[in-house]
Amino acid sequence: MDRFKRSVARRVFAFELNEATHRIESEEKLVQLLLPTGVPCSRVFIVGVLLDREETRPDSDFWKIRVSDPTGVFRGFIGKFQPDALESLLKIDPPEIVAIVSKVRLFEGNRTVVTLRPEFIVPVERDVMNYWIVETAEHTLSRIENMKKGGKELVEEAWRIYNPDLSKYEERVKEALEAVISSPKVEEEEVEEEKEEVEEVEVEEFEEVPEFSDEFEFEEEELDLSDILG
Amino acid sequence: MDRIQKIAEEIVEKFKKSGYEINRKDVYKRLKLLIEEFKVPESEAIRTVENYLIKELDISRDKLVSDSPLVKVEDIKTPGQWVSLKAKVVQLWDSSSPNVSQVGLIGDETGIIKFVIWAKANKPEVEEGKSYLFANVVTDSFGGRMQVNVNRNSRIEEIDEDIQLPPREVEAVGALVAIQQNSGLIRRCKKCNRVLTKGICPVHGKTEAYDDLRVKGVIDDGESYYEVILNQDNIKYLTGIGLEEAIEMAKKHYDREVVLSELKNRLLGRYFRFTGRKGERYFIVNEIDFLRYDGKEKAEELLSKLSG
Repeated sequence: MDRFKRSVARRVFAFELNEATHRIESEEKLVQLLLPTGVPCSRVFIVGVLLDREETRPDSDFWKIRVSDPTGVFRGFIGKFQPDALESLLKIDPPEIVAIVSKVRLFEGNRTVVTLRPEFIVPVERDVMNYWIVETAEHTLSRIENMKKGGKELVEEAWRIYNPDLSKYEERVKEALEAVISSPKVEEEEVEEEKEEVEEVEVEEFEEVPEFSDEFEFEEEELDLSDILG
Repeated sequence: MDRIQKIAEEIVEKFKKSGYEINRKDVYKRLKLLIEEFKVPESEAIRTVENYLIKELDISRDKLVSDSPLVKVEDIKTPGQWVSLKAKVVQLWDSSSPNVSQVGLIGDETGIIKFVIWAKANKPEVEEGKSYLFANVVTDSFGGRMQVNVNRNSRIEEIDEDIQLPPREVEAVGALVAIQQNSGLIRRCKKCNRVLTKGICPVHGKTEAYDDLRVKGVIDDGESYYEVILNQDNIKYLTGIGLEEAIEMAKKHYDREVVLSELKNRLLGRYFRFTGRKGERYFIVNEIDFLRYDGKEKAEELLSKLSG
């Protein structure tokens, strides 16, 4: 089973992910980000609002997306190397609540920026977003606890590199939880709408991207992203 | 049942285990004569009757070795013991060594244990899901875990009982973060039930096939993940799409892949609560449902903890 070891999808708020600037190499030679709360992260699960999608250049099939949670905005790119995600993205009409599973990449330009390379993006119900916020709050708080305790190697490294103001993180978690409490009641129709859409689905070439593709550097990496991100 | 009847029964059983049917009445009569009439001690009477039977059947005595004590899996704690156990074959693994005929897991209601059938033991193969008496096997410890070895002196007999396995079901909550290849409306080989790829069975080549609906996916709780398999019933329960509906959809669009796309749209990124039993790699899902709880309540709870 270890041969197929997959990296878990971390639950992390935009605020924290965007603070991450440090890369660590794990035993499996997998490049991972070190989160400011002291855990490695190479994949995330996010539920937030897709604010917009924008093709970086006409007909490039390379789209920039922005997805927000109550604490900030995730930036990501979807290109033809994520055919599943690209196909779904083009059917989504922002703003809409979406769930994303994504690899994280660190772009080091004038400033270091974390970006997402989604494996999939699907519209989901508002419930799911609330669950995600609550879950992410729980996970973040437990990481904060571990930071306070200290001791673990990565925790110490996080202190050394980021020296995070943990009260600031707790403040953001609070805000996120308050957003859940003040969110409107879920309407049933919302759910129904999404189900109808699917009839239109087209042929889809399913391609399983093996884990080791982490090591591949696609040409999109070579693009100068500084303008786009600006 | 009187004492002599009981002894007779034991003797009949013993011969039966070795594959010989003997006449119970005859055994009873001989025992009764020896024990009641002639006051021969029980053990001598038994030996005498057994000897008589062995001569009569023209077999050697060592064919009749009595079995090692019957134990439960949870009782196996020390290596080097001869035991017998009734167990179900849970799982067979690929044997990596030519010295090993079969290797895998067997279990009863008290636990699961690894077993090895040595090639030298020269035993017929066991099948997954069937229950057997593993008589005269030797306990062993390998890599810190107990196992049982089947050798030349062991005996494997299929039994009619359905041995129950311990409840190894897990219950977990997480988000479905991936749906893997060979999900959706798939075709399976009629001979071996394997999933066909482009109409080809990995074992039987081009073959007759039937439709099935399943999802192989990954449920992730942010700390660890479970590779799960949802069957037709699970999928129908969650989405209303059963095998029939799936076939209809595929027909309507002249494309089987629409089913997979639809399932991805309905299931990916959602939270689930499921119970399942772990196979070698995948959790075979028993029950699964969308996670439902009051997010606001939970949020308030966390908030009060934070400010407290």
